Amino acid sequence: MRLQFVLTEVLQGLRRNLSMVVSVVLVTFVSLTFVGAAALLQTQVTKLKGDWYDLVEVSVFLCPDGSTAPTCADGEATEEQIEALEKVIDSELSQIVATTYFESKAEAFEAFSELYPDGYQGTQLTEDDMQASFRLKLVDPEQYQVVDDVLEGRAGVEVVEDQREVFEPLFLALGRASLLAAGLAGVMLLAAVLLITTTIRLSAVSRRRETGIMRLVGASNLFVQLPFMLEGAIAALVGALLAVGGLWLGVQYLVTDWLQDSVDWVAYVDVGDVLLIAPLLVGIAVLLAVVSSVVTLNRYTRV
Amino acid sequence: MIRFENVSKVYARGARPALDDVSVDVSRGEFVFLVGASGSGKSTFLRLVLREERPTGGTVYVAGRDLSRLSSWKVPSLRRSIGVVFQDFRLLPGKTVYENVAFALQVIGKPRHTIRTTVPEVLEMVGLDGKEKRLPHELSGGEQQRVAIARAFVNRPQILLADEPTGNLDPTTSLGIMRLLDRINRTGTTVVMATHDDEIVNEMRKRVVELSTGSVVRDERDAVYGERESILPQVGQTPVLDAPGRGARAVQRVQVSPEPADLEAERAAEAAAARAAAQEPAAPSATAAPDSSGASADEVVQQVLREHERVRAGREA
Repeated sequence: MRLQFVLTEVLQGLRRNLSMVVSVVLVTFVSLTFVGAAALLQTQVTKLKGDWYDLVEVSVFLCPDGSTAPTCADGEATEEQIEALEKVIDSELSQIVATTYFESKAEAFEAFSELYPDGYQGTQLTEDDMQASFRLKLVDPEQYQVVDDVLEGRAGVEVVEDQREVFEPLFLALGRASLLAAGLAGVMLLAAVLLITTTIRLSAVSRRRETGIMRLVGASNLFVQLPFMLEGAIAALVGALLAVGGLWLGVQYLVTDWLQDSVDWVAYVDVGDVLLIAPLLVGIAVLLAVVSSVVTLNRYTRV
Repeated sequence: MIRFENVSKVYARGARPALDDVSVDVSRGEFVFLVGASGSGKSTFLRLVLREERPTGGTVYVAGRDLSRLSSWKVPSLRRSIGVVFQDFRLLPGKTVYENVAFALQVIGKPRHTIRTTVPEVLEMVGLDGKEKRLPHELSGGEQQRVAIARAFVNRPQILLADEPTGNLDPTTSLGIMRLLDRINRTGTTVVMATHDDEIVNEMRKRVVELSTGSVVRDERDAVYGERESILPQVGQTPVLDAPGRGARAVQRVQVSPEPADLEAERAAEAAAARAAAQEPAAPSATAAPDSSGASADEVVQQVLREHERVRAGREA
């Protein structure tokens, strides 16, 4: 009885306020699409990092002959220095470094010759132009700073390089894009809250006669307010579902069907990720509706 | 049932109080008229009983509850024990007679089968049997007020408040409404009615509480409306109303014939009451008024109706 009555009231309210309800649906749709896009971009960044950081290493370049670095004042790194460094890596960095590989000048030259069999830009380099280095694979690539702190400045170390830096511009771009999406989402969410508030207020005013009688005959506060809350919640929910649908289509057609075909060596977000963020979007929508209705209704339909 | 202890109500700081140190005690099953000029505090009195307002001083007790200590989430339960009728009926225009009455039960979560049995019962009682599907605008004023009374009474409240229920109705229709309220009173319901209708007050001979600028200036049993010129100075004296029975022919009132529908409703309500009485032969049920004046009130009404007929006959002659 109660449920059916409340649902009838809700349906009537939705019908009566159709244009406002549609605008609430659209605004939540757009704002949650931005929220979802931001979340998907973050997911993409995490995916790329997970894939690529497994491949990257930290290179500890040892002093070559004639380096101007202050730690290289004594000239080329000596055997003792290399041994000392090896000890440091094995002891102090044992928790952080997964594998250590020492690349001698000869090996470096070999690798170089493989890359540039005809010499690099017309110069003929010899093995002596190469630089010996430690290649460290870290357990967690994010721990680079610790390695840098320990090894940088030690005698025989010219420079510690993190290969992750190569990816930084890309991640920076993706991060900024997701920040932008989140910012837009924030503005749109604010608009959504205001619009839901206005819609509920209109609905409450247009049904003041009913609510007046309800209060007079002793309907509980919840019973008076529930139809309005549900109205807002339903509109917001529809917006959220549209947003999920929009993101699903976007990921399916833009990423999976198109981007993945043209650039296939990158792991992309897929519709599974959309489904993962769907509860988040729905949750935000319901939260929006509940917060705005509680605020509005306390002012307009209090006993 | 309703007790006001030194109740004051000031709406705006510095303004004259709407109620000023009012103490009134209405016991269970009583019928009380609240009279006084506009602005004398009648409506404030009713609003305080409903806890639509809180007193600025003093204490209001309703049905054993101290309203100043009543937390706001218990207000709905208080209001379920009070029925309210207004001068402007306040029916929902889009709903039928049946839906209007059922609405009051739906919104307090009564089960469907209860609604299906109680609504027709109460509609029969007010004499609107067979008009369930009408919309309010298809009814006469008297019938609309009957719907409003049915809505107020359908949950069998202990208290019925009526704020000038006959203010929009012609005298004969008003009389029908009064008979209905009287019948409700005799089921044990406490009735408090604010009114300007001196004729009705004089005819019913019930307790009268007169308010003037927020104070109780008179509280009498079996009383009359009082002197019109003092309560409503702008209207002036109409001798016959202050002393009914004397010089009845001098009534200077616009005579209106009541709507046939109203008379029909009144007859139906009466028939329903008679049927109910026949079904429960002299059962001193819990709903019977403890007030011994029950039977005599009906006599009074009968007498009044006869009086009306006589007045009309006299004029037409």
